[in-house]
Formats: sequence, C-alpha cells, structure tokens
Amino acid sequence: MSEPHYRFPPARALRLNRCLYALKADDAFRARFLRDARAAMGELGLEAADADALLAGDRDALVARGAHPYLVFMADLRLRMERGTATFEYF
Amino acid sequence: MLAGAFACAHTPQLLARPETEDRDLVLRVHAAFGRVRQRLTALRPDALAVIAGDHIEAFFLNAVPALAVYAGAECAGTFGRYRYRFPIHEPLARAIVEEGIGRGFDLAYTQDAPLDYAFFVPLHFTMPDPAVPIVPLHVNVYLPPQPTPARCHAWGAALGEIVRSRPERVVLMASGGMSHFPGTDRYASPDFEWDRGVLDALRAGRGRELAALTGAELDRTGNVELRTWIALLGAVGDVKADVYCYEPSWHHGNAVVEWPV
Repeated sequence: MSEPHYRFPPARALRLNRCLYALKADDAFRARFLRDARAAMGELGLEAADADALLAGDRDALVARGAHPYLVFMADLRLRMERGTATFEYF
Repeated sequence: MLAGAFACAHTPQLLARPETEDRDLVLRVHAAFGRVRQRLTALRPDALAVIAGDHIEAFFLNAVPALAVYAGAECAGTFGRYRYRFPIHEPLARAIVEEGIGRGFDLAYTQDAPLDYAFFVPLHFTMPDPAVPIVPLHVNVYLPPQPTPARCHAWGAALGEIVRSRPERVVLMASGGMSHFPGTDRYASPDFEWDRGVLDALRAGRGRELAALTGAELDRTGNVELRTWIALLGAVGDVKADVYCYEPSWHHGNAVVEWPV
C-alpha cells in the first residue's frame, strides 16, 4: 500500500511546521519574512537545511523533512498573494 | 429543531480567483451558493451550525482535537484582504458541548481560536438576509490520526438529536470536499470518478454507506474533508440529496448539496 498523502507530523519537524504555520496564519511574521527571510526563520530556530529548503521553495524536500504538505501549500500561496506575483479576482 | 442541511465546497480560489482558475466554473459554483443563500433566507434559521475541517488554523500542534466546538461570544478570521467576524449562538454552542459530552463524545471546546476559511468561504456566499449567528463545529481532517468516518457519523447522529431537541431553528452546513490533494504531488489529479460515485449514493439516500469508509480510502481519494459531510449525514439520516452542482476543476471537485429535513 502506498504512503498516505497526509502523515502524522514527526516531532522533529515541529519548528519547521511552526514556521510554515506562521507564514500561513500570522500576517506580522509573514511581513518580517518578506523583509528578511533568514532573520525571520532565525526567530523560530529553523535548522539550516530546513531554511534552505524553504527558501528554495522545494516542496519535496520540505515534506521529506517532515513538513505538513498542506502547510507548505498554503504558506506558498500566502507568500505569492503578498508578493503580488499572482493576480487574483476578488469576490 | 433541524431546519435544513447543506454541504458546500470551500476552496479559497472561489473567494480570491487566481488566473489559473476557470472563471466560468467559479461563477457556476457561486450560482449554486446563491441558491443556498436563497434557501437559507427562506428557511429563516436562528443559527447556522457549520461543520468544517480545520486547515491547521484554529489548532496547530499545541493541541489537535478530533472534534471541537467553538463556544465563545464571537469568532473572527482573516484571509488576505478578507476580514470576517461572526457572532456565536452561545446557548446552542453550549448545549452542543454539554449534551455532546453527556452522550459520550469527548469534545474539545474553545472560546478563542482563529476562524478558518473552511467556515467563512461558504458563509461569504450563503449567509442569509438577515444574517444569523453561527456555531463552528471542528473536525480534524488534516492531522493524522483523524477521527474515523464511523465516529464522525456517530457524532453527527448525536448532533442531530441535540439540534432536534432545541427550540431554535438550526441549519447544519458541512463545509469541505470533494476530491483534492493540496500540497501533494497529486494536486492536479483529483479522483472525480470516486466523487461521482459518492454523489450517486447520496442522491439515492444511501449516505450511511459513507460511515463504513476507512480513513485510508478518504486519504487515497483526496477526500479527508468528507468527514464533515459524513458527520452531517449522521444528522440527516437516509434522505435523498439534491446535488446543486458538481464542478470539477483542474485540482478540486467542487460540490454544493442540500438534504431535505
């Protein structure tokens, strides 16, 4: 049987998932990240390999390191919305 | 009393449409939401009890309740430029917590948690006029281990009994689904065929069959959120669904459904 799409979050990935959660849900943190991503990730004590994968936008690497796929997805969407790199029609 | 029952898709691309989304499809889902809004206005509910799967918004890894009730005075959530604030129907929320626990469901409750878009995307389009207070009912869908479909169905059955014993006119709304795989390598390959089989069963009044599904099957078909529908099915019983729309996009099976009560 194949691996499930959504797995129990490994405890070792808590800081990484907390950072993704903050990018998704915390407007002030997201703004700090957009100004200085390394400094923002440093606030949360991210390991260098986590920070590198996040800066590279490498979903597979992030998930392999224990990131929750949904958090990766929505953190990326919220950053794109803030950066204005995608155009939206608002209803 | 139970005054109505609906299920609504909630994908945020229905609220803020990126260029990747088919505008006509989005507008067709909006039209189905418009029908729900008309029905809700006609039903004159005193409260909307919305069963939704938290997208790791209200609850992070500090606590992961399988089932939870928002029992505060009001709730608020944001998504980009959108800002929402809804009053809670406190007597109903408290009754659901107290009577739910009394019936053996170890519910968590909160009076202070951010509201997830799973709640406010459908409400953005369907809130009746005049607006009514809500009761957010959380189901853990994204953080394994999630509650089993059987447990969700049983909780919904208890919820239906609680609501039917209340003096208020209550509409239940399940928010979520259908097939989609956000954040995974299957994002562009939802299982629409499986969705259509479920909708056929619901049209035939065979909703209780969904209680026998496994969590593994929901994960495999991109339907972890269908737990919210399964809970609602426990409340409405074996009635035939009226499927307002099923609109498969490149990444999401968008459905809007009503059940007669």
